[in-house]
Amino acid sequence: MNDDRPADRSAHSFPPAHAPAADPAPADPAQPAAARAGAAGAPAFLAVRLVLARQPLLVASFAEWREAARALLAYEIAPERVTWGSPHGGGDLFTSTPQTDLAQDAAMPAQAGAAPEGGADTAADAVAAGAPDVASLPPLPARTPRPTPHLPRSFMEMLQSAACCRVPDRWAFLYRVIWRWQLGQHDVQSPADEDGARLQAMVKAVRREEHDMHAYIRFRERPEEAGAPRFVAWYEPQHDVLPQVAKHFVNRMGKVSWMIATPDASVLWDGRTLHNAGPLVKGEEELEDGGEALWLTYYRSIFNPARLNTTVMQQHIQSHRWKNLPEGKIVPHMVSEAAMGARKIGQFQAVGQRRGTTIPIAPEAAQPDRQQPSKLDECRRCTLWEFATQAVPGIGPQQAQIMFVGEQPGDQEDLSGQPFIGPAGQLLDRVCANAGVDRETIYVTNAVKHFKWEPRGKRRLHKTPAQQEIEACHYWLDKELAQVNPTVIVALGATALKSVLRTANVTLRNSLGKPMRVGGRWVVTTYHPSYVLRVPSEEAKREAFNIMVDSLKLAHQLLERPLEEPDQQDRLI
Amino acid sequence: MELKDKLEILADAAKYDASCASSGAPKRDSVDKDGLGATTGMGICHSYTPDGRCVSLLKILLTNFCVYDCQYCVNRRSSNVPRARFTVDEVVKLTQDFYLRNYIDGLFLSSGIIQSSDYTMEQLVEVARRLREDHKFRGYIHLKTIPDADPRLIELAGKYADRLSVNIELPTQDSVTRLAPEKSVHTIKLAMGSIRTKLDEKDDHPKAPVFAPAGQSTQMIVGADASDDQTILNTAQTLYGSYKLKRVYYSAFSPIPQSPSSVPSAPPPLLREHRLYQADFLMRGYGFNAGEILPQSGNLALDIDPKLGWALANREHFPLDLNRADESMIARVPGIGLRSAKRLIDLRRLRRIRWEDLSRLRCSLKKLAPFVVVADYKPAQGMASSELLRRHLADAPEQMNLFPELQAA
Repeated sequence: MNDDRPADRSAHSFPPAHAPAADPAPADPAQPAAARAGAAGAPAFLAVRLVLARQPLLVASFAEWREAARALLAYEIAPERVTWGSPHGGGDLFTSTPQTDLAQDAAMPAQAGAAPEGGADTAADAVAAGAPDVASLPPLPARTPRPTPHLPRSFMEMLQSAACCRVPDRWAFLYRVIWRWQLGQHDVQSPADEDGARLQAMVKAVRREEHDMHAYIRFRERPEEAGAPRFVAWYEPQHDVLPQVAKHFVNRMGKVSWMIATPDASVLWDGRTLHNAGPLVKGEEELEDGGEALWLTYYRSIFNPARLNTTVMQQHIQSHRWKNLPEGKIVPHMVSEAAMGARKIGQFQAVGQRRGTTIPIAPEAAQPDRQQPSKLDECRRCTLWEFATQAVPGIGPQQAQIMFVGEQPGDQEDLSGQPFIGPAGQLLDRVCANAGVDRETIYVTNAVKHFKWEPRGKRRLHKTPAQQEIEACHYWLDKELAQVNPTVIVALGATALKSVLRTANVTLRNSLGKPMRVGGRWVVTTYHPSYVLRVPSEEAKREAFNIMVDSLKLAHQLLERPLEEPDQQDRLI
Repeated sequence: MELKDKLEILADAAKYDASCASSGAPKRDSVDKDGLGATTGMGICHSYTPDGRCVSLLKILLTNFCVYDCQYCVNRRSSNVPRARFTVDEVVKLTQDFYLRNYIDGLFLSSGIIQSSDYTMEQLVEVARRLREDHKFRGYIHLKTIPDADPRLIELAGKYADRLSVNIELPTQDSVTRLAPEKSVHTIKLAMGSIRTKLDEKDDHPKAPVFAPAGQSTQMIVGADASDDQTILNTAQTLYGSYKLKRVYYSAFSPIPQSPSSVPSAPPPLLREHRLYQADFLMRGYGFNAGEILPQSGNLALDIDPKLGWALANREHFPLDLNRADESMIARVPGIGLRSAKRLIDLRRLRRIRWEDLSRLRCSLKKLAPFVVVADYKPAQGMASSELLRRHLADAPEQMNLFPELQAA
């Protein structure tokens, strides 16, 4: 545009390069398409020809490097033969070029937004660096170009990220990396490899810079009458991360207009579109708005001097960041204050010096309205309460003639406080339905009232209660039996059976389906519904389910049978 | 009272809460939308205070009036602190202003108990509701849940907040009864349970209304009562298992002005808190069991980290051949972290691991040397006893300091 150096006509004869699909970022004037070498020449492969002619390759963006590198790989040009340079200088020692005057180029944001024809001055750069007339370059080698190696997406992203790292030899290094990759040395991306370690370090440095910029940019508000942008920030990034970072703030700020200025370039958001521009602000001083007092107040007050630990603080924020943070200026004072005694009490001095007040309220009046815990809730007869949420009492009609006794509440029962509401409870419903017994008429409870479990990862794994826990909890079962006074108890599983019979010397197998007379009641034993759910084979599952149904039918019949009758013929299995 | 004065008091009152995370929320943005705010899922620390803690959220109390008399708390009713109360609008505006200036990622709102649990909870929910509904704020919101509040209010809180937390504060029932007479472990657990139930519902039915997508957390104060680290870790394990907590935060007790005699007058060593965080991470990240980390009652060692402590107590697993062991076991080697373990497994697919690789992966070579075997290295014959190793690997003992207050600067 306003470039005053002689432009290289031949460079213009190539079609303009477009950002390839891998790089959807909007055209960024901070990275003018400098050499256009690779991109321009398909199939001319200018990059290859430049290298063959021992000319330096100037690239200014990852997209350009990628195109050039593709061509070089296709003609198997080894990294040692290529001299890479960057049009911003800082490139190869021999190809350093005059600094591009981007400031002039994009002084007006409105123009900048219209994606300036960055090609003009960069072509000039190429000339300045001694880019020759295309006609004078040697022809390409006659052999067929090799197909481009396919790089995994994650590796490609790594390269792209590393390309933002401002190190002088970044393009040469990246080319060496993919050169080694296509030779089959895939450990080139592993941190255990020397190049891999460097690559990862570059990626890390770029990520860190992006992160720091997300975190430590401070917007200052401009008066409303000044118009857009309403918020402006100044930042000095160490790597080329402005485009990525701008996206972050686009997401964050909605329709509010803002600008981020850096020494090399600026981005502006007008609430709808992002505009790129050259440097618009000289430094932070231009942005003072005096509106930071509240933030500093907050920063001072949220610090706990009793916990002073500057080492950790410094590990998190590198010292050079502090100068751009408003709170950075008050940190030394806060540290010395804390060290000089404020750390004895964690309170901020300005708060401590004020007159305080106690709240005149009687302890009884302060007690929240909450249901008085039941006696069962306060049970400490064994240690299970400590790990459970709550005790789960039985539920059902107080005149029920049949009582189901299960083992213990499970995970869901522990949270809800009701027995048998999980999958086992649903199975129990089906058993009742199949046996023709109304579940609503049955009292359902457990031998142990607290959930016993052991940790398995982040889950609670059911654990069978020990005999002493069963005995400790019998106290509560006795109370329920006395209150409900059922005619038949259906013991679900071995734990329930042990509890009901009050002995550990009993097995499920020996008493399955065989009614027993205990303390003036019938006791019928059957499986625990969880067993039916857990047993792997479908057939066994069906069988167990049927046994449960039969047991319940038997229990129902027993309601009509006097307790004196002999019980030999009742055995089902 | 000026806004600045209120902020001074109510931020000061909130700084004893350790949590300041803003991670775990679903990704949101405000592109082409009214309102403000985004969450990346990652959480960003916008600054660090000289105590080394990050500032990620605007962490304040709605009010520090409190009818409770928790002995460890600076805002207890018998405490002689200046009191203040924000209006709902003040909190809303402060949050948005700070957010626009990129000071914070969102709001972490807590409150003293005023009038009743329900009333307090209603006020907290109202702030979140106004931010979300009236101002379309999409940043992070963390609400402190008042345990005795109506479950319907907790449900409403989960609709607006990314994270909910119920602080258990003390690791045992006895301590709570003694130091926080108005609180009850029972209702705290019930509140956590009700939050977990809602979180489960959301997991089982993806179309269920949003509920606290960043989960729930809690905080335990360390050193305000006599509980040892084993008790604390066991309680943490119980809470993780039972209520699917994302985090348990440990907060070393800070001495408070006019401290009541029921709590200690000196803080516990900050290193104890740090060791608890390390142990906690072993449980969350590495699959350690509380009983493995600290099999006997007592505290974690201060001179060595808990993983090294475990390795020294379990020498039968070592030296471990890094070319054969599985990932979870490699991660248990002192000096090798989760990420390095994964990288070693990746590298092993390409070739055998050598000593140099460990150095390049920046593992702590001094720590791992006695515990590993690789292609070109194995620890010397007649391995040193755990005692000897411990002396070799422990942090250097520090010279006792006559003027610790001065040295900290």
